[in-house]
Amino acid sequence: MKASDILSYSFSAIKLRKLRAGLTTLGVVIGIAAIVALLSITQGLQETITLQLQRGFATNTLIVSAGGGVVFGGGDAAGSGFKLFVNDTQTINKLENVELSVAIIQRTGSIQFAAGARNVTIVGVDFDSYASIYPTTFVAEKGGVIPDNPTNEMVVVGKRVSDPWKNGTVLCNVNDTAEIAWLNAAARPPKPENYTGSVAAVLQEIGGFSISGPSDYNVYIPLSKAQSFFGTDQCNMIIVRLTNDDKTTIDNASKAIKAVFGDQVSVMSATAVLNTLSSVFSVIELFLSGIAAISLLVAGIGIMNIMIVSLMERTREIGILKALGMKSHTVLLIFLGESVIIGLLGAIIGVASGWGLANVVAIALGGGGRLRNQAPQTGSFGTMAINPVLTPTVTLLALVFGIGVSVIFAIYPAWRASKLKPVEALRYE
Amino acid sequence: MATIVEAVNLKKTYMLGKVPVEALRGVNLKVESGDFLAILGPSGSGKSTLLNLIGALDKPTEGQMLIENIDISTLSDNQLADVRRRIGFVFQFFNLIPRFTAKENVELSMSIADMSKDERRKQAQNLLEVVGLKERMNHKPAELSGGEQQRVAIARALANNPKFLLMDEPTGNIDSKAANDIMGLVKKLDEEKGVTIIMVTHDQRLASQARRTVQMFDGLIVNEKVNHK
Repeated sequence: MKASDILSYSFSAIKLRKLRAGLTTLGVVIGIAAIVALLSITQGLQETITLQLQRGFATNTLIVSAGGGVVFGGGDAAGSGFKLFVNDTQTINKLENVELSVAIIQRTGSIQFAAGARNVTIVGVDFDSYASIYPTTFVAEKGGVIPDNPTNEMVVVGKRVSDPWKNGTVLCNVNDTAEIAWLNAAARPPKPENYTGSVAAVLQEIGGFSISGPSDYNVYIPLSKAQSFFGTDQCNMIIVRLTNDDKTTIDNASKAIKAVFGDQVSVMSATAVLNTLSSVFSVIELFLSGIAAISLLVAGIGIMNIMIVSLMERTREIGILKALGMKSHTVLLIFLGESVIIGLLGAIIGVASGWGLANVVAIALGGGGRLRNQAPQTGSFGTMAINPVLTPTVTLLALVFGIGVSVIFAIYPAWRASKLKPVEALRYE
Repeated sequence: MATIVEAVNLKKTYMLGKVPVEALRGVNLKVESGDFLAILGPSGSGKSTLLNLIGALDKPTEGQMLIENIDISTLSDNQLADVRRRIGFVFQFFNLIPRFTAKENVELSMSIADMSKDERRKQAQNLLEVVGLKERMNHKPAELSGGEQQRVAIARALANNPKFLLMDEPTGNIDSKAANDIMGLVKKLDEEKGVTIIMVTHDQRLASQARRTVQMFDGLIVNEKVNHK
């Protein structure tokens, strides 16, 4: 029997039991849709986070902080009592592969303009060096210039400090005065400190978040001012720019820096963070796919169940086919053909609805989703918009998986059908 | 005349639970090309078992079942399927596929035999015309009377130009008028087209319309006669 005839026979058998076939297909649809939705959301999330990180996070930089790697918090000298100082940059600058380094002192504080106040992180940094490490993000928006040699009063603010609600209600413009304040909680009694500065520039919108690089939510003051304002020479971290972002360069420089500070510092590379993140995402993806795969397994059992029922109902029909001279393997192919049709249909609908579901979720989480006409915005889901990613590989795998599961679970019923003895099958009522 | 079907000391034993039942106890039979043979016998006489063996649906326990001089007990399942494609089956309960139209039912046996689509269509139309169902070929079995269904079954049986027609109580499940029509058709096929026919029945009158009758009883052929017209 020709392949096209086998397939059209399978199809006629499915058409006869539309509801049942539909429900069986639905099982596959749900399984595949779950896998596709979960994978495209996680991949979208990963892409977004990676992109955001890369934006505020040059790949040829290292972040040196005191102690056990408290980087996300800002790096107090934890445990050991070891402290990193502003002039430690000189030591680091002498090391091989290091182009330049910049010390950062930061505190949580507030900034008050005539139009309103914001709680911010106040970052003391050398503007010139910082801009050369982050040439794409530490950039003033139109109308402002980040001064190379700032006076002590000059302040650079992130986009979300000047325009917190993204609606044009601006708290400050260039040349506005600003009252900068923090609470020195270490003093007894705790002592509020403040001074009046002037906004020299507003940063271009960066989007996303950053670990060490410029952020939309920070206020930047000159390092020397920070030293006197915060009353310390101790810095939270030192950002080091290397000559290149080769793995060996990064590894060697990291080792050299650790060695020079007697292993009392932790050194983190942007690339290493990205790698760690991507491996975390791989695990999450695997875990979520595993959960989704279970629903596909259930669908497979549904297919097997339906096929066995169908086999019993059609015993006599199989007897007729065999009496007409149909070979056993053709009977097998007819049953497998039915499962291929169900699997293919389920997989196609599943991929489409999974993709749709992922976008609905992305929109629900805010901002994201590729189904919208406008360009994806940043600043949602915390600070990110997720744009689900559906790679051709995932699409293809989902199709193969859908058909594969259907066929595998149909093998046993199909085999049983093919093994029916014509005499007995014809006698079956 | 070439011998198409030959049974030599044919035996078939079934296990009914743990009890062996000898359905055939040594049948000898010869059918030649162009013959019209009726196998007559009461139920339990072994005629259905013999029919299954002649139709290559089953293998004998002992003895030889030769179809076109090939012993079917030496054949594999696939080879048996090939043999069955050259046999035209007509069943008591028609055994049409309910979801297919008359024409599709006739075409099905040709598609099993790998015939091309065009050929199938032409052949099916011709055959349905021969059995007098030209006007009803796009009806499904449920929309046809018993007699009409049996005509479709006969058209289907003829589709692959079989070596012989094997009929199992072909009028057993239809009214007497339709039964007469069917027998008329069968005789026409025999006389005009020279189709070899083997018909199993328990009906004496039906058997007498064949050219030759063998009488079975208790797993043996007990009588054999040529019917005079």
